Amino acid sequence: MLTRLRSLLRALTGRRRFEEGMAAELRSHIEQYTQDLVRDGLPPAEAARRARLEFGNLDSVKDDCREARGLRPFDTVQQDLRYAVRLLRKTPGFTVTALATLALCLGANLTIFAVIDSVLLRSLPFPEADRLVSLYNTYPRAGVPNDGVSLTNYYERRNGQVAAFSWLAIYKEGRAVIGEAGATEQEPVTRVSPEFFSTLAVRPSLGRAFTEDETTYGRSRVVILTDAYWRQHFNADPSALGRTLRVDGNPFLIVGVLPPGFRFLSSPSRLYFPLASSPEQRAPERRHWGDQAEMIARLAPDVTVAAAQEQVDAQNTALEKTNPRGKAMADAGFRSMVVPLHRSHVAAVRPTLLLIQVGVLFLLLIGIVNLVNLLLIRASARLRELAIRQAMGASRRHVASSVMVETSVLTAMGAALGLAVGAVGIRLLLALGADRLPLGAQIAFDGRLALVALAAAFALGVAIATPIAWYNLRTNVSTALYTESRSGTLSRAAQRLRHGFVVAQIALAFVVLADAGLLALSLKQVMAVSPGFRTDHVSSGRISPPYSRYPNDKVRLDLIDRMLEAIHRQPGVITAGVTSNVPLSGNTVKSAATVKGYSPPAGVPPHGHYSYSVTGDYFGAAGIPLREGRLFTPDDARRPERVCIVDEDFARRYWPGRTAIGQRLFMGASQDTDDKAFTVVGVVGAVKQAGLADQEQQGAVYYTFRYRGADEMFLVARTALPPDEFAATLRRIVRQIDPELPLSDVQSMDTRVAESLVTRRSPAVLAGLFAAVALLLTAIGTYGVLSYAVAQRRREIGLRIALGARPDQVRAQFVGLGLRLLAAGGTLGLAAAWLTGRAMQTMLFRVPPLPWAILVGTTVIMLVVSLAASLWPSYRATRISPMQALNDQ
Amino acid sequence: LRKTADLLPGTLDMLILKAVSLTPLHGYGVLLRIRQISGNALDIPQGSLYPALYRLEHQGLLAAEWGESENNRRAKFYTLTASGRRRLREETASWNRLASAIGAALKTAPDQV
Repeated sequence: MLTRLRSLLRALTGRRRFEEGMAAELRSHIEQYTQDLVRDGLPPAEAARRARLEFGNLDSVKDDCREARGLRPFDTVQQDLRYAVRLLRKTPGFTVTALATLALCLGANLTIFAVIDSVLLRSLPFPEADRLVSLYNTYPRAGVPNDGVSLTNYYERRNGQVAAFSWLAIYKEGRAVIGEAGATEQEPVTRVSPEFFSTLAVRPSLGRAFTEDETTYGRSRVVILTDAYWRQHFNADPSALGRTLRVDGNPFLIVGVLPPGFRFLSSPSRLYFPLASSPEQRAPERRHWGDQAEMIARLAPDVTVAAAQEQVDAQNTALEKTNPRGKAMADAGFRSMVVPLHRSHVAAVRPTLLLIQVGVLFLLLIGIVNLVNLLLIRASARLRELAIRQAMGASRRHVASSVMVETSVLTAMGAALGLAVGAVGIRLLLALGADRLPLGAQIAFDGRLALVALAAAFALGVAIATPIAWYNLRTNVSTALYTESRSGTLSRAAQRLRHGFVVAQIALAFVVLADAGLLALSLKQVMAVSPGFRTDHVSSGRISPPYSRYPNDKVRLDLIDRMLEAIHRQPGVITAGVTSNVPLSGNTVKSAATVKGYSPPAGVPPHGHYSYSVTGDYFGAAGIPLREGRLFTPDDARRPERVCIVDEDFARRYWPGRTAIGQRLFMGASQDTDDKAFTVVGVVGAVKQAGLADQEQQGAVYYTFRYRGADEMFLVARTALPPDEFAATLRRIVRQIDPELPLSDVQSMDTRVAESLVTRRSPAVLAGLFAAVALLLTAIGTYGVLSYAVAQRRREIGLRIALGARPDQVRAQFVGLGLRLLAAGGTLGLAAAWLTGRAMQTMLFRVPPLPWAILVGTTVIMLVVSLAASLWPSYRATRISPMQALNDQ
Repeated sequence: LRKTADLLPGTLDMLILKAVSLTPLHGYGVLLRIRQISGNALDIPQGSLYPALYRLEHQGLLAAEWGESENNRRAKFYTLTASGRRRLREETASWNRLASAIGAALKTAPDQV
């Protein structure tokens, strides 16, 4: 076997040498034989003739020799290839249509697959990443599905206290001001516990990880750089270790550099700090509602997620027994969930991505159906030629393989073009915001994609060739020579096949179109939701005054006042304010507020609310309406009286049917003494903090900065100028007041709303694009089949016209055929669209599975497309000249 | 009247292997050698010689090498490989068994039945 393979390979790779050697060998044989014959006394001319005669046909001997070497199949394929290319060049219209279809459909699939591959399929870039899990506390009945974990959770679980985890760590993403005065930058950073990198099984490529000692305040001024940061700011100099970096105005010692390419999930952080805390922060009383962080862990070998979940549940049960508030937590449905890290990280986008992938697969299916139909029509036209070839001895295998070669040439070229389309498509997707998907930063066009394209080209080649080869082979040679020629009757099976494919195509296009409509309608519904604040002409930007330079509330308040004053002085500024969190900022942390004298009915858990600190005219600037009472006055920030404002959701929850004004509440999860109570002075409208589609009435409390300090603040200004023009002004003001304080996340509220919709808008835009392509393909498919039907029935039509049929009768015949196909496909598509609409319910906002508007709209569009595709072939049918048609062939 | 016998199917390979086993030969030489060792009784069709040679080479029973022929021409010489030698031994043995069995069968007289 091996010898034969080697011999075949040698002949294939040195094909020229093989052919020349063979020719020389045979020639020399004939010459020697001629000489021997001459020696025997024959005249030379006669000898040469005899020698050639006795040797036999030189070409057929050569062929036999080639076959003995196993070269025959390769030669056949080569012949078929040449034939296929010649055929494709002879019909440029068909070839261009087919290649465009393939390129578009394959390109779209490759693009989406690149995203699915990066986000869903590829495992996280850590060793044994499938053992990484994430843990979070959930209080579902308190309206807090994910509350991260507390420092207490971490100190109670680390170091093997839960046997299921070989490593356990917490981290907290934040921001820090990096650099010397005048050249500061706000950098996203991550604060981590010492075993964070061990949990990920990543070791710094230079220096060391953090130590236990560095989790204490005062000793935590150390930093680990990512490779990228080290290269950019330290020129990849190893002596950066031991140098210092100014962080929030303080020198931090550089102790390590991470390996190249390190990136934790989608985190943009390029600097890592130890997560420091005090013993009080780690106390059992702060297990719930404590300092929040995120927790990851590495499962011990052979431990399943379910087993780890059991151990965590058991530990929680044991710990909560001694918790005086354990009952309330249990009522809130408290549990600590253990979930696979990768899956939970991408869980939110998974259904949307899969939906889009299904959408493009539909598109591919429509494209294939189109191609098969076009090829079937071609095959019918070539049936006679094929029958003659078969009659002259072409084997069935050869007939099948030559079809395969032809379709493979098409699909291979289509795949190559598809890769080009895919490369463009990925750019388009990134422009649509794909890089902001979790793990979206690694979306790339790479070898894996090319490999998939190759495999797809091959699979498609076979898939498309199969029905064609089947059609070619099932046709009896003698009847083929007869039926599709002069007699003019169609082969029934072929016709049914072609029509069946068009029906399938129409059904698929109907589904894609209807689903695109659903997504668009859903987007429209979301956009119609009032965000609860004014979006136009409102600018906002974030500052994080470092505690090192702004250590107490007094100086922080002064800073804010100075900024507000400066903003107010700008021409075109209508009003301005400061808040600790703007709507749609992405920060949706909830906290507790306890209404004085309110004890929740048995079994009703305490509820999480949004908490804001505000000053200046924030409500005026953001356009949040006052419903009752009054807003904060400048005095409120200075006076010792504790006052607060609640939103209407909060007021309705605790004081339904009564006024909220004058009511009192406590910040935090428990009743307290009267001097700590906040008096409600006003009720404002509710805003959508998490997203426009968020329907949870969470409730919100607004405090003054005096009683609720904040790490970061948003400056919010309403201006007469467009926000884009005001952004520069805002930056200048901040720089003038404190050159070391960076302003980040500068966006208009319009932009924030638009950004918050990107996960809905992008799929809708893509689906619209797919629908357009699907319609185009369907139109091509319908047009092709009807044109063929007209061509096939030329004689019949000619006869009818000769016998007096009116043009509109002839036209009706073909338009009718188009409509019948549409009716069948539409009915199927309707059922399928209803099913897919139901499957998409979780992704839709206030849209039923198949609303009337979508149903009617889709039907009308399909009708228009089908009619348009039928009209030209039908018109041509009426123009057939009876004389010519009857004289054909 | 023909002086030469037609070849039995399957015997051509065996004869080529035998011819080459005596001394390395080029294609035309194989033809002459078979004629010679069969006492001019066997004449093989020239057209089928080369496909057979190529097949045997493909199967690794023959090795081929380009060299100089007796009259200073470039020629492709065939030699027997180790597996070719083994194959020739097997085929010879099985031919002999077949020939003697057929011989014995054809010699049978009526009284021996």
